[in-house]
Amino acid sequence: MILHFIVFLPVAAALAILVGAPARRTALWGAALTLAATLLAYFAFDTGQRGFQFVTSCAVSSDWRINFTLGLDGLSLMMMLLTAVVTFAAVWFTGEITEHENAFYACLLFIAGGAFGAFASLDLFFFYAFHELALIPTFLLIGIWGSGNRQAAAWKITIYLATGSFILLLGLIMLYRSVPEAARTFDLRALQKAASLGMIPADAQGNIYLLLLVGFGILVSLFPFHTWAPEAYASAPAPAAMLHAGVLKKFGLYGLLRLALPLLPEGAEQWSTLLLVLLLGNIIYVGLVTIAQKRLDWMLGYSSVMHMGYIFLGIASGTLLGTNGAAVLIFAHGVSIALLFGLAGEIRQRTGTLVLADLGGLGKVMPRAGLAFGLAAFASIGLPGFANFTGEVMVLFGVFRNGASPERFNIYQIATVLALWGVVISAVYMLRAYRSVFMGAVRESWSGLTDLSRSLRVPIGILIAMSLWFGFFPQSFIRKVSPTFKSYFTAK
Amino acid sequence: MSSALPWYILLLPFFAAVVIVLLTKSSRGLSSFISVAAVLGSFICSCLVFTTENIRSIELTWIDLRPILYVPLGFVLDDLSKTMLVLVTGIGALIHIYSLGYMKDDAGKSRYFASLSFFMFSMLGIVLSNNFVMMFIFWELVGVSSYLLIGHWFERDAAAEAAKKAFLTNRIGDFGFMLGILMAWTATGSVVFDDMAQELGRITSYPGYLTVATLLIFCGAVGKSAQFPLHVWLPDAMEGPTPISALIHAATMVAAGVYMLVRVGFLIQASATALSVIAWIGTVTAVMAALIATQQNDIKRILAYSTLSQLGYMVMAVGLASGEAAMFHLFTHAFFKALLFLGAGSIIVMLHHEQNIWKMGGLAGRLGITFLTFMAGTLALIGFPPFSGFFSKDLILALAYEKNPAIFWLALFTAFLTAFYMVRLIVVVFFGKPRSEHARAGREAPWVMITPLMILAIPAFASGFGFVAKLFLPLPAQEEHGWLVPGLALAATLAGITLAVVLYRRRESDPLDFALVRDRFYFDEIYGFLIKATQGVLASLSAFIDRWILDVGIIRGAGGTTWGFGSLLRLLQVGNLQAYSFLFGLGIVGLIYFTLFR
Amino acid sequence: MITLGHYLIVSGLLFTIGFAGVLLRRNIIIIFMSLELMLNAANLSLVAFSRFRVDSAGMPNYNAQVFVFFIITVAAAEVAVGLAIIVALYRARQTTHVEDVNSLKF
Repeated sequence: MILHFIVFLPVAAALAILVGAPARRTALWGAALTLAATLLAYFAFDTGQRGFQFVTSCAVSSDWRINFTLGLDGLSLMMMLLTAVVTFAAVWFTGEITEHENAFYACLLFIAGGAFGAFASLDLFFFYAFHELALIPTFLLIGIWGSGNRQAAAWKITIYLATGSFILLLGLIMLYRSVPEAARTFDLRALQKAASLGMIPADAQGNIYLLLLVGFGILVSLFPFHTWAPEAYASAPAPAAMLHAGVLKKFGLYGLLRLALPLLPEGAEQWSTLLLVLLLGNIIYVGLVTIAQKRLDWMLGYSSVMHMGYIFLGIASGTLLGTNGAAVLIFAHGVSIALLFGLAGEIRQRTGTLVLADLGGLGKVMPRAGLAFGLAAFASIGLPGFANFTGEVMVLFGVFRNGASPERFNIYQIATVLALWGVVISAVYMLRAYRSVFMGAVRESWSGLTDLSRSLRVPIGILIAMSLWFGFFPQSFIRKVSPTFKSYFTAK
Repeated sequence: MSSALPWYILLLPFFAAVVIVLLTKSSRGLSSFISVAAVLGSFICSCLVFTTENIRSIELTWIDLRPILYVPLGFVLDDLSKTMLVLVTGIGALIHIYSLGYMKDDAGKSRYFASLSFFMFSMLGIVLSNNFVMMFIFWELVGVSSYLLIGHWFERDAAAEAAKKAFLTNRIGDFGFMLGILMAWTATGSVVFDDMAQELGRITSYPGYLTVATLLIFCGAVGKSAQFPLHVWLPDAMEGPTPISALIHAATMVAAGVYMLVRVGFLIQASATALSVIAWIGTVTAVMAALIATQQNDIKRILAYSTLSQLGYMVMAVGLASGEAAMFHLFTHAFFKALLFLGAGSIIVMLHHEQNIWKMGGLAGRLGITFLTFMAGTLALIGFPPFSGFFSKDLILALAYEKNPAIFWLALFTAFLTAFYMVRLIVVVFFGKPRSEHARAGREAPWVMITPLMILAIPAFASGFGFVAKLFLPLPAQEEHGWLVPGLALAATLAGITLAVVLYRRRESDPLDFALVRDRFYFDEIYGFLIKATQGVLASLSAFIDRWILDVGIIRGAGGTTWGFGSLLRLLQVGNLQAYSFLFGLGIVGLIYFTLFR
Repeated sequence: MITLGHYLIVSGLLFTIGFAGVLLRRNIIIIFMSLELMLNAANLSLVAFSRFRVDSAGMPNYNAQVFVFFIITVAAAEVAVGLAIIVALYRARQTTHVEDVNSLKF
C-alpha cells in the first residue's frame, strides 16, 4: 500500500494542481508527504530479509502476463529515497514562474511520479512505461520554460532519449522472448529465477546485453552518446535539470544493475572490454571537454556526464565491492549534482549569465551560496566525508581487485589508473569554476546581488545532510543494498 | 583498556567547526572562543592519552564487506602517534591563541576559526588512523582545510590562485597515493597497517611490484610534504594568514607526509630501490630549496623555502631507513619553525603587512622579545649547538655519512646554505637602519601574540637534548662517530654565518643577483607551460571534437540527413486534389491488376 | 434477356463517369456528386450480384443488399459532413474550385 501511496501521490498532486489547486503549496506538500512516506518505508524496511518487500500485485492482462507489481529491495529503496529527496529539493528550489505556473509544478511532479513508478516496478512493462511517462514532462519543461536555445535542446533530448528508449525496448522484447515460451513473463522475479536456472542462452545474452547497454547507455549519456546532456541541462530550468540529472538519468544505471547484471551475466562478460573503453571515454575524454567549458551550466552538464563514467566503472567491475560502490555513487551523484544545478539556477536568476569569465567574487556578496556551492562542489569531486568519495573508493577498489596479480596489470587495473587520473581532472575543472565564480575581487555590477533566501537552507541542508550521512556511515547504505548484489555474485 | 578518550581528541575540534558554521557564524568573538576551547580540550585529552599506558580506543566500522574489504574507523595509539598528538594539539593550541591577536579585526574571523578547528580535526585524524583508507580520508580533508585557509582572503586573486594550486598539486600526489594503496591492498588483502605488516610476505616476493607500490605511496608524501617535483605549492601557500603558515605549512600538515612514511615504514623499508629514490628526492629538495631561499626577499617565502629544505632532510632520513631520525627532526622542527613563522607574523602585522625584508631593518631594538625568540628559532634551525636543531640535524647527517657519502656532502652543503640565508634574514631585518616608514614606527605585538612566542622558544631551545626528546620519542641507538660529523656540520654552519654577515652587513639592497635562483629555477613557468601544452591543448581539442565532430557532425548530421530525404520526398506533394485522386485510382487499378491478372 | 453482364456494364460505366468527373471537373460540388455516382455504381453491382447469385433454395443473397443499405446510410452521413466542409471552405476562401485549394503541399 505504501508503495502505491508513494508512486501515486505526486501524480495525484499534479492532477490537483492542473485542476486549480494552489500550485506551489500543493506541490510542496505533495513532495514533503512523499518524502515522509519514503522515509517511513526506509525505516520499515527489514534489512535482514532477502528479496523484495512491500510487494503488491494486481493483474492487468492475463493474456500478455502483465501485472502491475510493485515491490522494493535495498537497491530500489535507495533509489526511491534519492527520488524523494531530490524531488522535494527541486520543488522547493523552483523560484517564481511567470507563465503557466501550475503546469510547471505538475510537470515536476509527473517526473517524480514516473521515476518512483519505474524504480518500484517489478514488472518490465511498467518499469519501461513509467520511465517514458517521466520523459514527456522533461521535454515540456525544457521546451517551454527553458532558456537559451531551448527548443533545439528540447528536440535533441527528446529524439535522443526516444532513440535510446526504442533500442532499450528492442532489448527488453528480446529478453522477453529469450526464455522458453512457457516461462515467458514480464515479472522480474520470475525472470531472475529463469536466468539463474540458465534458461537464457549465452549467445542471446550477448546480443541482449549490447542492446540494453546502448539503450540504457544513451539514457545515461554513456560516451559517445552523451552530447544531449550538457545542452539540455544548460537550457533546462534549474528544477528540471535537478530532477533529470539527479534522478531520471539514474534510471538507466538502475536498469543495468537491476536487469543486465543478474539476468545476463555472460553477456556482461562478453562486452566488458567495450564498456570499459566507453566509460573511460566518459571519464578522460569528457573530463577534458569539461575543463575547456566556459559556462558554468555547460561545465556542470559535462561534469555530470563525466561522473557517470565512475558509476559505469562500478557496473563493469564485476565485483561485489564495485557494484555496491556504483549504487552508492548513483545516490551520491544524484544529490550533489541536484544541488549544483539548483545553485547555478539561483545564480543565473540573479546575474542573468553563467559565463565564467563574467562572474567573480560572488563569495563576498553571496556567502550562503558560496558555502553551499563549495560543499556541493567538494562533494562532487569526491571529497571524503561525502558519499561520493565512499562510492568512488568502493568502485576503484572493486575494479582494481578484478583479476589482480602482482605480475602485471590487466585491463581492469589500467582502467583504474586512468579513472584515478579522472579524479584529478574533476578537481581541476571544479576548483577552476569555483575560483572564477566565487573567489577573486567582486565586480562592480555584482556588488548589489542578494544572497540566497533563508528558506533555501531547508532543501540545501537536506541534500548535504544526506550526502554527509552516507559519507560518514556508508555501512548503513551497504547493509541495504548488498543483499541484492550478493545474490548476483553467489555463482562466482 | 578501552577508552573513548581518543575520540574526544578527534571530535572536539570537529564539533567546534560544525557549531561555528551552523550557529555562531555571526558572533565572531564566540566563534573564536569555541575554537580555542576545543583545541585546549583536545590538548588536555592528548596529554591524558600520552600519559596512559596501553590505551585502546573504541573501533567503529566504516565499510564492512568482508572478506573483500574491511575499513574500520580505528585508532593506532603507539608512542609515535601519542607524540604527534601532543605535538599537534600543543602547537595547535598556541597558534589558536596567537590567532586571537593576529586575526582580531578580520571580517572572516568565524570562518577562519571554523577552518582552523576543521584542520585540527583532519590532522589529528591522520595521526590517529590505523588504516590506509582512513588515513587517506583525513589526508584529503587536511588538503581541503589547507585550501580553505590559504584562500581565506579569497577576494585577493593571489590567494585564490594559491589555494587552488595547493589543492590541485596535492591531488596529483594523492593520485599516486591512492594507486599505491590499491596495489598494497590487493597484494596483502587488507588496508589496516598491522594486518598489512603481517601479510607483507605476500608482496616481498615481487620486488618490482613492491617498489612501484611503495613509490606510489611515497607520491602522496611528495605532494603533502611538498617534495621535489611537487614542491611548487608551498611557497605560494604563504598567501594565507601567517598563523596558518606556521601551523599548517610549517609545523604540522606538511610533516604529515613524513609521519605517514614513518607509519608505513615496514612497507618502505622492504624495498631498497624505493628507499634510495626517497633519499635522493629528499636530498634534491633540501639543496634546491635552500638555494632558492638565499635569493628571496619576502620574509615568509624565505621561511617557506627553509621549510621545504628541512622537510627534505626528514624525507632523506626516511630514505636512509631511519624513521626515528626523521621523527626527531620533525619534532624539533615543528617547534622552531612554528616559532619562526609566528615571529615573522608579529613583525608583519606590526609593520602593516609589509613582507619585503628590504623594507624592514633595525627591528632588534623595537621588537625586543620578537627578536630574541626569533633568534632562538634561527639558531635552532641552522643547527647551532646546543639548540634543538643541532641534535636532530646531526643525527641525520651522521646517518648519511654512514650510508651514502654523496648525500652526506649535499646535506652538509645544505646546512651551510641554511645558516647563510637565515643569518642574511636576521641581519637584514633586525640590524642596520630601518628602510621604510613602517619599519621606523614598528613596535612590539600584543601579549596574546608574544606569549606563544615565548612558550615556543623553550622547546625550540631544549627539545633536542636527548633526555628531553627521549620522553617523547624513541631515539635511534647512535653509534659513536667521534667529532667528525658534528664538527663538519658546525664548520659549515659557521662558514654560512660568517659569509652572510660579511655580505649583508649595512646593505641597502641585495649584493648578490642570481636570476635563476631568484626565479625559483623557473619551476612555475615550466609547469605552467607543460600544463598548457598538455592538458590545455588536449582539453580544447576534445572540446572541439565534442562540439563540432560528435555533436554537429554526427548527431546533427544524422538529423540533417533525415531532413534532406524528407525534403526530397516533399516534392511529390503537389497539393492538387485531383492529382492525388488520379494517383490513387492508378494505384487501385494496379492493385487489381496484380491481384487478379498475375 | 438482361443478364448480370448488363448490370455490370452499366455499373462500370457509371463508375467510370464518376471517376472521370472526380478527376476532371474543377468544381468541388460537382466532384462531390461524381463521388456519389461512384458509390451508387458500386451499389448497383452489389444489388445485381445479390439478385443473380441465388442459392439452392432459389433465394438471393441478402447480405449484399444489407450492405447496400449500409452504404446508402453512410453516404448520407458523408454528404452531410462533406457539404458542411465545402460550405466552410467557401466561407473561408470564397471559392469552390480545386485549383484554389492546394495548401496541402509543403
